[in-house]
Amino acid sequence: MNDYMIELRDVTKRFGSIVANNRINLGIRRGELMTLLGPSGCGKTTSLRCITGHNIPDEGKVFIDGIDVTDIPTHKRELGMVFQNFALFPHMTVFENVEFPLMIRGINKREREELVEEALQLIRMKEYESHHPRQLSGGQQQRVGLARALVYRPKVLLLDEPLSNLDAKLREEMRFEIRDLIDRMGITAVYVTHDQAEALALSDRVAVMNRGKIEQIGTPTEIYDSPQSRFIADFIGLSDFLEGTVSSIRSDRGTAIVKVEGLEIQVVAGPNMEVGKRALLFIRPNNVELFNKTHKGGTNTFPGEVEKITYLGDRNDYRIKLGSNIRLRVQSDSKVRFRVGEEVKICILPDQCRVIV
Amino acid sequence: MRRGSKLRSTGVTLSLLLPGLACFFGLFFYPMMVTVVRSLRPEGSDTGWTLVNYISFLSTAKARDVIVLTFTLSLSATLLSILFSVALALILRKKLGGHRFFRLTMIIPRVVPGLIGALGLLLFFGSRGWFNLLVMGVFPFVEKPIQINYTVPGLILFYTWLYFPFTALTTLSALESLDPGIEEAADVAGANKWHVLRYVILPLIMPGILAGSVLTFMAAFGAFSIPLIAGGNYRPLSVEIYKQIDLTPARWSAASARAMIMAMLQVIFLTIYMRILRRRSR
Repeated sequence: MNDYMIELRDVTKRFGSIVANNRINLGIRRGELMTLLGPSGCGKTTSLRCITGHNIPDEGKVFIDGIDVTDIPTHKRELGMVFQNFALFPHMTVFENVEFPLMIRGINKREREELVEEALQLIRMKEYESHHPRQLSGGQQQRVGLARALVYRPKVLLLDEPLSNLDAKLREEMRFEIRDLIDRMGITAVYVTHDQAEALALSDRVAVMNRGKIEQIGTPTEIYDSPQSRFIADFIGLSDFLEGTVSSIRSDRGTAIVKVEGLEIQVVAGPNMEVGKRALLFIRPNNVELFNKTHKGGTNTFPGEVEKITYLGDRNDYRIKLGSNIRLRVQSDSKVRFRVGEEVKICILPDQCRVIV
Repeated sequence: MRRGSKLRSTGVTLSLLLPGLACFFGLFFYPMMVTVVRSLRPEGSDTGWTLVNYISFLSTAKARDVIVLTFTLSLSATLLSILFSVALALILRKKLGGHRFFRLTMIIPRVVPGLIGALGLLLFFGSRGWFNLLVMGVFPFVEKPIQINYTVPGLILFYTWLYFPFTALTTLSALESLDPGIEEAADVAGANKWHVLRYVILPLIMPGILAGSVLTFMAAFGAFSIPLIAGGNYRPLSVEIYKQIDLTPARWSAASARAMIMAMLQVIFLTIYMRILRRRSR
């Protein structure tokens, strides 16, 4: 009927007086990797646990593969799950861990062995099959966790912050490995994380959550380039916010001018803009260019003064003072370097400058 | 020089060990040696060596009955304790209302003196006790009071009541230290409640169960006050030993020989148990 593999309809979940999920509506398409992204306490884990059945929604319904599973216990939902702390069975070997879901399903020994071997080969852990989890590194344990979740070809793979307990370098490697594995299996996946970089790198679509609600659902580019709220612009990537009033709109060019503290900044026209209305500009530090003071003007080019520099290795992070009262963060590559107190010109790229109404 | 200082440090170590060794010899080794020596003396004599005390006890059919009874009582009580403790721990860890109260009451059998406990149980399960009044009141087909006191099942019940807290405490603490994520992982993987218990929870808390149940077993094996006053004609080893001293004149050598047999059985059992435990932890 519809092509949603998982659907949450008006799901509300309360813990005492705290509303962890407030009328969540979310549809996850077949074969898609959907990330639930948000700060801790935003309700993303609660939503995931509503899908697994570890939380029963107070209101609303959960559908998996078109079937209402709201009252179906977890073990009958045919899910695979990967946990933040791996949650491998410590008393079983790697082989037995991966075999467990098959054994529970009463699959015969021969077939079981074949499937486990196949899964272990997929995650390159074949030679560790007789090890116990405590003998493995974090990355290896999480790969076994993946194999255990995928070995019985569940309808859906759920990943609850699977990389949070790994160190930074490994996290990045595993990101690609997980994406690769999911692509090869063509499985629908729900990925919960608080790490925006992870969400942007991995997902087909991202649902950004805040205070028990979904604030925006979209592809990583949509979420990053056109956030629909200050919270999202703030949470994802770096941004500075400038408040001003709309002074003119040129709908033929799709641009508008916003006046901020005497500066006229040209921006991309948004749907709800009206002349005279207040507008909130958000500017990403890497969408601002820095020139020396002799640079001749152009659209959105303003004089400023370097107030602070932070060296970040591959780039410099400048705090630039514009006029009396505006401060902008600017990141530019570290080949050109300005000094504190130096007068500069900055150009806020007009086609990258957007407004959250 | 180096050799000299090494010798001196060994001397220091030995002299530091001295108080401990003195306690060990004075409080444990000496009384035990007295018992060993006593068991090898002819009855009533302080000279001569003989094995007659062992032989005269072990060669009777009664000896076999006593040993079998002792094992039956303590093993059954241990198994019952395990069953009861696992069930109790599974309920208590849910932290339902009043769980703190039950956690406290659980250890009451260990703080009440055994003799008082045994008397209480005798009254409770007696033919005019609350238990029989309740059973006869609720089930009209029960016409006569159920005989529990002075029977083997009754003794097992009493033993269980008195000694299960050892097992229950270790089982509960093992269960509560389990990572709930592991059970959720099993659950998502398709395991129902029974599978989770059978393949995940029980294997993981088994070391805890075994640690507590060996205490329950050893305590039940050496139980004295309960079988003495509630055992009737059923006398396990401990009572059998006591009965030798209760005679006039007291038969100290016979009692000592029986005590040695009891100690050896306990050592053998512990050795087997430790071996099982070591194999489990690999």
